[in-house]
Amino acid sequence: MKTNLSLSEQTQQQRPVSWTTRRDEKARRMQSVEPWMKGPVLAQEKIVEALESVIASGDRIVMEGDNQKQADFLSRSLVQVNAKKIRDLHLIISSISRPEHLTLFELGIAKKVDFAFAGPQSLRVAQLLEDGVLEIGAIHTYVELYARLLVNLVPNVVLVCAEQADQEGNLFTGPNTEDTPVIVEAAAFHDAIVIVQVNQIVDKLPRVDIPASWVDIVVEADKPFAVEPLFTRDPRHITELQILTGMMVIRGVYERHQVQSLNHGIGFDTAAIELLLPTYGESLGLRGKICRHFALNPHPTLIPAIESGWVQSVHSFGSEVGMDDYIRARPDIFFNGRDGSLRSNRVLCQLAGQYAVDAFIGATLQMDGDANSSTVTTGRLAGFGGAPNMGHDPHGRRHSTPAWLDLKTNPSPNARGRKLVVQTLETFSKGGVPAFVETLDAVEVGKKAGMPITPIMIYGDDVSHVVTEEGIAYLYKTEGIEERRRALAAVAGISPVGLNAKPAETAELRRKGIVAYPEDIGVQRLQANRALLAARSMEDLVAWSGGLYQPPAKFRSW
Amino acid sequence: MNQTSTIPDFVSRKSFIEVDGRKRAQSLFDEGTWKELVGPFDRMESPWLPLQGVAPQFDDGCIVIKGKIGGMAAVAIALEGAFQGGSIGEVSGAKMAAALDLATKDSVAGKRTAAILLLETGGVRLQEANLGLAAVAEVISSVLALRPHAPVITLIAGTVGCFGGMSLAAGVSSYVVMTREARLGLNGPEVIEQESGIDEFDSSDRALIWAIHGGEQRVGMGLADALVEDDAEKIKATIREYVQADLLPEYRSQQVELYRDRITALDTSAQIDPISLRREWNNTTTGGLR
Repeated sequence: MKTNLSLSEQTQQQRPVSWTTRRDEKARRMQSVEPWMKGPVLAQEKIVEALESVIASGDRIVMEGDNQKQADFLSRSLVQVNAKKIRDLHLIISSISRPEHLTLFELGIAKKVDFAFAGPQSLRVAQLLEDGVLEIGAIHTYVELYARLLVNLVPNVVLVCAEQADQEGNLFTGPNTEDTPVIVEAAAFHDAIVIVQVNQIVDKLPRVDIPASWVDIVVEADKPFAVEPLFTRDPRHITELQILTGMMVIRGVYERHQVQSLNHGIGFDTAAIELLLPTYGESLGLRGKICRHFALNPHPTLIPAIESGWVQSVHSFGSEVGMDDYIRARPDIFFNGRDGSLRSNRVLCQLAGQYAVDAFIGATLQMDGDANSSTVTTGRLAGFGGAPNMGHDPHGRRHSTPAWLDLKTNPSPNARGRKLVVQTLETFSKGGVPAFVETLDAVEVGKKAGMPITPIMIYGDDVSHVVTEEGIAYLYKTEGIEERRRALAAVAGISPVGLNAKPAETAELRRKGIVAYPEDIGVQRLQANRALLAARSMEDLVAWSGGLYQPPAKFRSW
Repeated sequence: MNQTSTIPDFVSRKSFIEVDGRKRAQSLFDEGTWKELVGPFDRMESPWLPLQGVAPQFDDGCIVIKGKIGGMAAVAIALEGAFQGGSIGEVSGAKMAAALDLATKDSVAGKRTAAILLLETGGVRLQEANLGLAAVAEVISSVLALRPHAPVITLIAGTVGCFGGMSLAAGVSSYVVMTREARLGLNGPEVIEQESGIDEFDSSDRALIWAIHGGEQRVGMGLADALVEDDAEKIKATIREYVQADLLPEYRSQQVELYRDRITALDTSAQIDPISLRREWNNTTTGGLR
């Protein structure tokens, strides 16, 4: 067709009429709640009506809730919206933790979910999926889920929580800042609506964690947001097998490879290691040589190591209930704001845990003969959380450390080093069930849930070391899949995987340093005693902290 | 940053709570003076548990050890909290009562023999029902028989605590020694919640449980005599003091009027909090506390 229009006029004609549909839609919705607002502050009793006004059916909603803090006032309010008016929401939530999260699906308010973890609700998730009440977009790891908020899971409305707001809408997210900044950022800069529940509206904030210009609606909650003490382990329940495993890790992994910076997963195995540093580690003269920098939540069991001068820095994903005063008193160690309290940040800590540390160590529940591991058990869709992010060797890393270089087995100058990914597990779990299995439960669970691949938590090829009560398998040293399997079998006890081990082959692996039993690395089994722990009870931890650590009631026995 | 590593003294202490009932009892005696009576090699086990599919234990969860404490004769009777929740059955009850009776016999004959009851128990063993109830009655009457002749000292260290029928035995003893982790009460938290509802008592509220049943509160109220740290040496020293103590003219369990008056005097119009109860009951000047 012949035209007299200039080139740029032609392109203008072909483009859509508006470039501001998201902005316009946000303005329209915000206008509808205007009468109930004073500045950015919404009257508490109007929250359900406000949600009905700013949310439309089919919207993508981020509900803030990880394994620690939860925007529970907003989730309890969302359940109350008229299910005839608001339907088929697409929920994006890092941890499905609260019963009302799933009630949303039963009522039809929500239809689809993208999530990372569903620990406490994993059974119900599996049931609702089977009943067709809920559709799963995908199960992610934490950082993946946040990354997708910036790509193809851009939200329409986000529901988050903070400790305090001022009248202008600036937020203090405090020690439990966790995921809030990334969720708000993804929304505020792409014309989504940011709704925040706060414990309190005050005249002056201790510090500003999120500026008012990123926030649309602030509402004071009926009670402080829920937060779980997920990273607290009572030293009373650490067993002597866990102590033996911890001793082997300190000698055979940390000392051997000079591990200076690391991430500890949750669990009694890592709690035992933390409590062995000031005693067993000290007796080996390792203070200052290993375990100086941590990327982890402020585990109460780390207090003795901090107090005895082992730890130089700790950056955290979140805070931990009861640790706030202790953290405030140790600004040299933790990342605290000008107001004195901790500023955590899950995404940044995940980044630190992937690219800046020498080692990840975590316990798992089930492992197959190829060292693939999973915490998924039959009938539950628990998701991944952050473990797969921590528990892998990031190929984008370029800086060297002694530990990273020590795992380089190929002498070529063109080969890379390797992050340590250490998995600990007892060969048999509670009730005499073998932890080493021929086939992971995850295989069947994945099939049943219609997942395209098996929900493996940590892939065997990322695992550099496996430590059991029997010994250590230095998997990174093995050549070929057969040797890997033999090394793993050698530490798998009398589990089905362990029964494949042949004494002659195991002896050869020990000679080559691919497998080590306690006596091979100077660990005396009989020394593995609870008296070796720097703290044997919650009371001991409080004493170490000089009374600054205040355990939550459920961990108190006095 | 702290550059020198200083390990606080409490880290190297010998824990009492951490060890089992047998080691606890042994640790109270003068070195080399003790022997176990009716030990596991005598195989006095419960005839009732196997009938109900429960594996019995050769000592039936009751350890009796005789020896010297501070040079004086003593017998320690420990209930093992890790076996059937330290519950008292026919055999364990008979062992306990018999040991107390032998101590009474010796004491009456001029050889004062103190008894130490190490109670980690939920009370009567449900599988043995009436036999367990009868055992509690026998134990109590044996304690009452020994009490005028030699001290009967109940030691509750934790973590099981002392509940049910055996809390009555604790109540009639001459002295009660507890740690902060120990609990003492007639009905356990779950039982109260089950019988009276969660509004009356939330058995998952650990702060509440210890504010009511915990060692600090029990000693603070004057219902127990000494609060000890979880330190085997300190516990041993405290027990030795009580073993050597003079006999009391009157015991707590005999002061019926005192406690009746105190309960009557309580203002129940508002919720009584643990601290004020401690203040009210322990500062009282109306007579002895035992």
